[in-house]
Amino acid sequence: MAFLMDRAGGWFLSKITQESQFRYSRLYNGHESADILFVGNSRGLSFYQPYAEEKTGLTTNNLSYNGMPVSLAVPLVMDYLDNHNPPKVLVMDISLLDSVRMDNKLGYQFNHYTPFSQRLSDLMKRDFANDYYAGIVSHLYRYNSEVFQRTFFYWKKSDKDWLLDRVISPSMINSVDEQKTLRFSYDQKMLDQVSTMVHYAKERGVRVELVVNPYYPAFVPKIGNLDSLMNDLSLATGLSVKNFENAITQTEAFGDYQHVNKVGAKLYLDKLIQAGVLETRTGYNGK
Amino acid sequence: MIFNSLPFFVFIAVFLPLFFSTKRSESAWTIGSVGYAALLEGVLWYGTSQGWWHWPLHGLILVTTIGSRLLGPLKGQHLISLVGSYVFYGWWDWKFLFLVGFSTLLDFTLGLIVDRESDDKKRRRLMVLSIVMNLGFLGFFKYFNFFINSAADLLTSVGFQPHLTTLRIILPIGISFYTFQSMSYVIDVYRKHMPAERNFLKYAAFVSFWPQLVAGPIVRAKDFLPQFNHNHGFDWDRLITGTGRILWGFFKKCVIADSISPFVDQIFGEPSAFTSINLFVGVVFYSFQIYCDFSGYSDIAIGFARVLGFKFNENFRTPYFSQNFSEFWTRWHISLSSWLRDYLYIPLGGNRNGKFATYKNNMLTMLLGGLWHGANWTFMFWGFLHGMYLIGQRQLGKPFGAMMNGLRFPAWLKTGVNIALTYFFTCLAWIFFRATTFGKAMDVITGLTDLRGYNLVSLMNKFWVMKGLLLIGILLTIEISNLRMHWSGLTFRQPAVRVFAYASLLLLIAFFGSFGGGAFIYFQF
Repeated sequence: MAFLMDRAGGWFLSKITQESQFRYSRLYNGHESADILFVGNSRGLSFYQPYAEEKTGLTTNNLSYNGMPVSLAVPLVMDYLDNHNPPKVLVMDISLLDSVRMDNKLGYQFNHYTPFSQRLSDLMKRDFANDYYAGIVSHLYRYNSEVFQRTFFYWKKSDKDWLLDRVISPSMINSVDEQKTLRFSYDQKMLDQVSTMVHYAKERGVRVELVVNPYYPAFVPKIGNLDSLMNDLSLATGLSVKNFENAITQTEAFGDYQHVNKVGAKLYLDKLIQAGVLETRTGYNGK
Repeated sequence: MIFNSLPFFVFIAVFLPLFFSTKRSESAWTIGSVGYAALLEGVLWYGTSQGWWHWPLHGLILVTTIGSRLLGPLKGQHLISLVGSYVFYGWWDWKFLFLVGFSTLLDFTLGLIVDRESDDKKRRRLMVLSIVMNLGFLGFFKYFNFFINSAADLLTSVGFQPHLTTLRIILPIGISFYTFQSMSYVIDVYRKHMPAERNFLKYAAFVSFWPQLVAGPIVRAKDFLPQFNHNHGFDWDRLITGTGRILWGFFKKCVIADSISPFVDQIFGEPSAFTSINLFVGVVFYSFQIYCDFSGYSDIAIGFARVLGFKFNENFRTPYFSQNFSEFWTRWHISLSSWLRDYLYIPLGGNRNGKFATYKNNMLTMLLGGLWHGANWTFMFWGFLHGMYLIGQRQLGKPFGAMMNGLRFPAWLKTGVNIALTYFFTCLAWIFFRATTFGKAMDVITGLTDLRGYNLVSLMNKFWVMKGLLLIGILLTIEISNLRMHWSGLTFRQPAVRVFAYASLLLLIAFFGSFGGGAFIYFQF
């Protein structure tokens, strides 16, 4: 009985996965090609789609997720490029090259997408073999993740307005000096993975922009090795990294030290358009 | 090893058949058990070419198969139980087996001497020696650095600059449980509640019995030791009922406790960063996390004991349905609260010497109960709060009850108010139990009083919250319905209900469970 209930439940949930409007379901059902593709970790949610579409007049898609590791971001982007018309531009926030702050276990939470992606299947088998094979034994197990909960949550509604929306608290503002230095922990493998993704996109005529999204101004001095990361990434990809860490100065634009809120996201997107990172329907600055 | 891990399932597959194979000494069983042991050896050698972890299992198989055949059915089963328990415990760190072994030998010997000694003063001194030695082990491993640091802080506060040395001491898992269990044996022998055990193998198997060794329930020798007097054979009914209990325990631990713990960890990690609603949800979640984690472990332990043919007393009885704190302490961690009652509160005088002596004894018992949980002043303060609750209940219980009667509340409303108030104050105390410092506890409490922060928009991760609320709702539905339906009896009597219930639990575990091998909270005690 457990087996039958498991298979029946798994079949029903796979239908939800396919029909969901969550970003990764839309990626694999191939229905929505976009002009602008964003990718990043939770800081990548700053690429607030409704405002970006309003200001640019172009369609957008955002593959960002909290704690997104590079090893997962790259296959997702490559799958997107395989399943959709190539976007005009791919924008990536480089802070996801950080093994300390990324969620190394996020990959297994995409188990329910493995039937749709050979790259994700390979990733699961390589890095999360127990979860992969457990998902074969129990189909319901594949859906045991926060990512699936979001897939279910966005079954009938759009996820484009997903954004951290709070204001940094006074106690956080007052304790910024007590924070430890933030140092990006990355290695050559991560740089190579981003390089692979960049070349894959360029071969399809996609312009790639590597950016540093804003940080809370008083927190910026606490960031230790951003210059090294930018230099190493430039060498690996052949692209210059555009640094917007200081782009936003208003305190009320931040939810915490590392994330802007909706107010900040709008200000930031205006900066990206002014800097020519994002093109508009009327044209591209080409800076 | 922990219950929710792959090595444990391998251990069970090896241990159970060996344990039950001693029931009969006929040649067929001997050949069968030796053959099974040979099969296991082959599987282990073939399937595990690297790593150390299979060696203890080889030891378990060889020693128990050969030894049990030589010792006979009953002693053979004691040997298997003992060796299996030592493999189970030594998985964490084999060096602590010496501590368990020494503690076992010490109290076994002292028990014999106390039993034979006729001079009451000498008997008392020997009992005190057992208490001092056991509390000495506990004090050293658990509290040495705590007392050193506290002394240093105190001296610094009055102007001295002490240079006191702390040691890098690893806390042996389960030490708080097996030392209390061992102490109570010698005390019961001293009180002549039971004779001393003369069979060391049986006594050692009792002390180290793996289902309850690392996180209880704390069993009493006079209840549990006699269960080792006969050989336990395999029984389908026990397997069925035991399996149901184990599944329920895994549901509470892997599905509920481990699912809500990430939210709780974030909240209590930096409480000042979160709004009131997040803090409120975090505190409520923690109350269920610790309940499900600890009672889940107890359920698994009780279930496995049942499968093996042993009976543990219940350790939890829906504690959050308590209407006052006296009742709460008959429903929460019953084995510890009853231990403290019988070996501390009553010997101190209990409630026999007037109001203030009763208050003093209540407070002392709760303070030491708090300290038992960990080497931190926040645990003692948690105990202090519960002491105050018990005192407050004695002082205010009757006037409060009279007020409720005067307001002519219907019975269900009075019950609801009592439960809500008891739960509220329990959660208040949990804040100090969970917070690592007083500062963080006060951050939580201060944050909770900011009414502006109670808005859904600022809820940190609504997916965690929705999942947590859903799972807690499932738990409460089952526990409330169990008061009428008595699910455990129903699943035993009705096969169709059993099949559906067990299948549902398995699927809920697959769909919602966390399998990161998260340790049980009470392992740290």
